[in-house]
Amino acid sequence: MTRSRTLSPAARRVLAALVAAGAPGRHGYDLCREAQIKSGTLYPLLIRLEAQGYLSAAWQVAEAPGRPPRHVYRLTAAGCRLADEHPLPATRADEAPQGGLA
Amino acid sequence: MSPVIELIFRLIRRLLPPALQPWGEAAIREARSATRPGEALPFALGCLSWAVGESIRFRFSKLKQQGEEPVNLTDRIGPRSVAVSCGVGATGLGLIYMSAGGAPAHYLMINLAALAFGLVTLGILVLADRRGHLPAGPLSLLLGLVLLAVSLWGVSAGGVTRWVALGPLVIQPGMMVVPLMAVLFARSRDALSLAGVAVAALALALQPDRGMAAALAVGMTVIAFTRPDRRTIGAAAAAVLGFAAAMAQADPSPAMPFVDQILYSAFAVHPLAGAAVVMGAVLLVLPALAARRLSGTDQAACLVFGAVWAAIIAAAALGNYPTPLVGYGGSAIVGYMLGLVVCPRRAPEVGRSPVEATSGPDGDGPLLYAGQP
Repeated sequence: MTRSRTLSPAARRVLAALVAAGAPGRHGYDLCREAQIKSGTLYPLLIRLEAQGYLSAAWQVAEAPGRPPRHVYRLTAAGCRLADEHPLPATRADEAPQGGLA
Repeated sequence: MSPVIELIFRLIRRLLPPALQPWGEAAIREARSATRPGEALPFALGCLSWAVGESIRFRFSKLKQQGEEPVNLTDRIGPRSVAVSCGVGATGLGLIYMSAGGAPAHYLMINLAALAFGLVTLGILVLADRRGHLPAGPLSLLLGLVLLAVSLWGVSAGGVTRWVALGPLVIQPGMMVVPLMAVLFARSRDALSLAGVAVAALALALQPDRGMAAALAVGMTVIAFTRPDRRTIGAAAAAVLGFAAAMAQADPSPAMPFVDQILYSAFAVHPLAGAAVVMGAVLLVLPALAARRLSGTDQAACLVFGAVWAAIIAAAALGNYPTPLVGYGGSAIVGYMLGLVVCPRRAPEVGRSPVEATSGPDGDGPLLYAGQP
């Protein structure tokens, strides 16, 4: 029997950012800014989501010439369902987003 | 990209387990693509904290798979590697604390640059030692005289003279000299080394520097207990006298942010920042545990190394003295690395009893064993 776990606010914000990104997906740097989390929190989260089949990661050739390829992240169908099941919590004005220590 | 950020990238690549290397490369490329000024360094530091965590998890899971206790880590990777890892780990934890506390970015860069400099210098010293070009006696005397010169002509503040200005940088040579002198004396107790210790004790009393004088006294006392003879007792007496003279003088140095008293103030920043500082301080004395598996001069050197850094940490806890490695200050980072020159590269093999673990008076040669099965 699988155990369902409540997602952290950081995970919900990343999922929401990926839902907003749609098919083009998002880069890690953009996700950090949009979800307002530290890179040290983002990458373990992305790795976990990818291992569980909620996310696909692919190297994307840069549009600008001479720039190296970057990882782009997109939600899978299962990831979209997970995002639907775990919407962003209602934010309070006095509640700042939490991230790990950089 | 700045050299500091490039160094962080190299550390990330080095630390991450093979399975996570593509993720590390992806993270590094994201850091390179940071468009806003000042964003690349926090991004890279965040990735470094992730890589450190993954590295620790990976190595412990490997040990578990092999059915071994983590406490025997030194058996596998050698006392010096363990000690270097402790120094790097403590510096990393200090960076986490300083980032969380909002320290200026150049504080972080200076500590990272000091770590790189310390590692390179350690490599050079180890190579010189291996080729027999590191005579302990003359080197100890030279270090003592350098410290005396600092006491006489160094940078003063509030009646205390213990710094040297190198352009925009102000360093504290005592932090670099005392740990190295102590471990050199643990290995070679000749007349010149004794003279070097006596000159250093005098210099620390003149500065005055109670913290480093205490560290020298503790180190020399440990040697006198483990290897009692005329010279070790003489060195301990000189160092204790120097410490007493330093204690008898006023030391009005105020506490500096991110340098002094951070063992307490870090918890006010964030409980995790406080935990990082305490963990980093504990890491600094862990190399002394390797002494259980060693004997002879290597054992004495490991014990002295641990005792000296424990004394420096105690001084930081009790007074306005720099908290080594976890606080801002490159001198302690360089000093920690330099002191590892006498730490043996390999531990004795299991099932063999080590004799003098070093090959001769200058140590660090191939390990010799008795009782071949």
